[in-house]
Amino acid sequence: MAMDLLALSEFLQKGRAKEVTELVQQGLDENMSAKVILQDGLMHGMNIIGEKFKNNEVFVPEVLIAARAMNMGTVILKPFLADAGVQATGKVVIGTVKGDLHDIGKNLVGMMMEGKGLEVIDLGTDVPPQKYVDEAIAQGADIIACSALLTTTMTQMKAVVEALDASGARDKIKIMVGGAPVTDSYCESIGADFYTADAASAANKAVEICSVK
Amino acid sequence: MTGKERIVAVLSGKETDKTPWVPFAGVHSGKLKGYTAKEVSQQGDKLFESLIEVNKMYKPDGQPVMFDLQIEAELMGCELLWAEDAPPTVSSHPLESTSEIPTYIPAADEGRLALEIDVMKQMKEAVGDHTALYGLITGPFTLASHLRGTNIFMDMILDPDYVHQLMDYATDVAITLSKYFVDAGMDVIAAVDPLISQISPDHFKEFMHEPFKRLFTAIREMGAFSSFFVCGNATMNIGPMCETTPDSLSVDENVNLADAKKVTDTYGVVIGGNIPLTSVMLFGNQQDNMKATVDLMDSVTKDHLIIAPGCDMPYDIPIENTLAIEQAVHETELVREMVKNYEGSDLVFEGVLPEYDKLVKPLVEVFTLDSATCAACTYMLATAMDAKEHYGDKIDVVEYKYTTPQNIARCATMGVKQLPSIYINGELKYSSIIPRREEIVGEIGKYL
Repeated sequence: MAMDLLALSEFLQKGRAKEVTELVQQGLDENMSAKVILQDGLMHGMNIIGEKFKNNEVFVPEVLIAARAMNMGTVILKPFLADAGVQATGKVVIGTVKGDLHDIGKNLVGMMMEGKGLEVIDLGTDVPPQKYVDEAIAQGADIIACSALLTTTMTQMKAVVEALDASGARDKIKIMVGGAPVTDSYCESIGADFYTADAASAANKAVEICSVK
Repeated sequence: MTGKERIVAVLSGKETDKTPWVPFAGVHSGKLKGYTAKEVSQQGDKLFESLIEVNKMYKPDGQPVMFDLQIEAELMGCELLWAEDAPPTVSSHPLESTSEIPTYIPAADEGRLALEIDVMKQMKEAVGDHTALYGLITGPFTLASHLRGTNIFMDMILDPDYVHQLMDYATDVAITLSKYFVDAGMDVIAAVDPLISQISPDHFKEFMHEPFKRLFTAIREMGAFSSFFVCGNATMNIGPMCETTPDSLSVDENVNLADAKKVTDTYGVVIGGNIPLTSVMLFGNQQDNMKATVDLMDSVTKDHLIIAPGCDMPYDIPIENTLAIEQAVHETELVREMVKNYEGSDLVFEGVLPEYDKLVKPLVEVFTLDSATCAACTYMLATAMDAKEHYGDKIDVVEYKYTTPQNIARCATMGVKQLPSIYINGELKYSSIIPRREEIVGEIGKYL
């Protein structure tokens, strides 16, 4: 029997890494396309988790455990995706701003973005403004995504906007901001491009940004 | 009723004359005396001085001594990143790559815990007769996450036994600190556990129910009241939190207070909250803060209610915004009128502003919310009256209270943005922070 993509999606949603890797391998053994396994199995499951997270139906542990299963499945798929010429739909440089060490939210956003087929370059926490810009330019990124949990550190997002303005690459790179204290009006006031309230919305917005470029 | 009587009454399920107000001035307290967050987190004398100022200016019914979730973690080997305008942050997790369970329990004379307990005793002596004092402990789940790092979330699924053991340990620590704080005179012990909003009600029941119930039972046996503070969208966990039997919950603006109160009311648990920290307190003006507070109070029934900021107040919240909230909580009807008049589109100043450049003698104008009820306004007016006593007929002093439509219009015409404030000959000289007598006397002297 051919590998059941829906079962793969469901195992991923439950974070069952063992079953996920087994089904991915089975699919490859059956000559199923790596792209189909990724999109209709793994990404399908991760999207559902993202939506459920947004709607308060699942929480951080469930998302992390699903993302772990996703990663283990993707590792197996990676060489086949490259062989098939499947490319990321866009590139995001992500990090928590300078002075801020909180990374749960940033990690969730990064995972959701990867789950949508974007390439995510994670700069970690406590990232100086210039580093976002330097990395984004060096990597040819479409988006800089900044996270902050503290009211005192979210002001660093403005410095990122200014650094990008000064770099001359402002027209090529969009800036997304998020985190507990951040709001739409704050985003607007510092001249950033997009604010999203949760990880799934951030990933959707990032895909949208990359698709119009 | 004194503030303390109000808190005791509300937490005992009894009526109060006014809704109790608990400003969570953690490191923000330092702003009132010009100290940095780091100074009030590390130096007991500066912390005590700042807390006394909070007590004087913000008229709290209940007041926390420190709002710092890193004190226990620091003693347990977590490294901290310090900031001048925020509490420190944990930067390393000693249990990140080991599954051992610690046995160390902090002693009362260790590290910043000793400082905290010492300041608690001083506060008890200084204001404890009229203000209910809150001792804040790091909630067991947040403490466990400080020690273990983000892995704890996956442990809940992959290694539940380990999480149970770590929670038991963190709860032992929490109970020990609660005892230290009750012995130091704290009336309410609050377990602050922001991470509770990040897990499902099922996980709450599996991992949190027993530890928190044990904690709140222990606090009750010590003869103190308890509170369960959470940050973030904890809507789904309000019921499960109540089932751990705290006397009160405190939530931030991610939770709808009216909806949550319907749940807490069914358990007879008091709810506290949830004036928005960033959009209103940090970035709003005084009128925004008055309106947000009055609207919040109108959205709920007045029993089993404490009004408080959503969480620990950011260091830089303008002092006048907190003064406005205090007025709105304690003098709700008066402030409701102020908001109504301020919002009235037909408000026109009918008087004439003085010709400031043609004054015969210096004119000191004191703009207040209401010097009869707002403590900071009382002090601001008093300092101006001290100057009047000093200079006698050589100067004029006049007060404009924000309680009448024409005074509101005058403020708008003058461009007065913070109350209380003092203008000399039409120029803003002092706002929110009260000048010392010699300071204002000297300043007026320049105009003579």
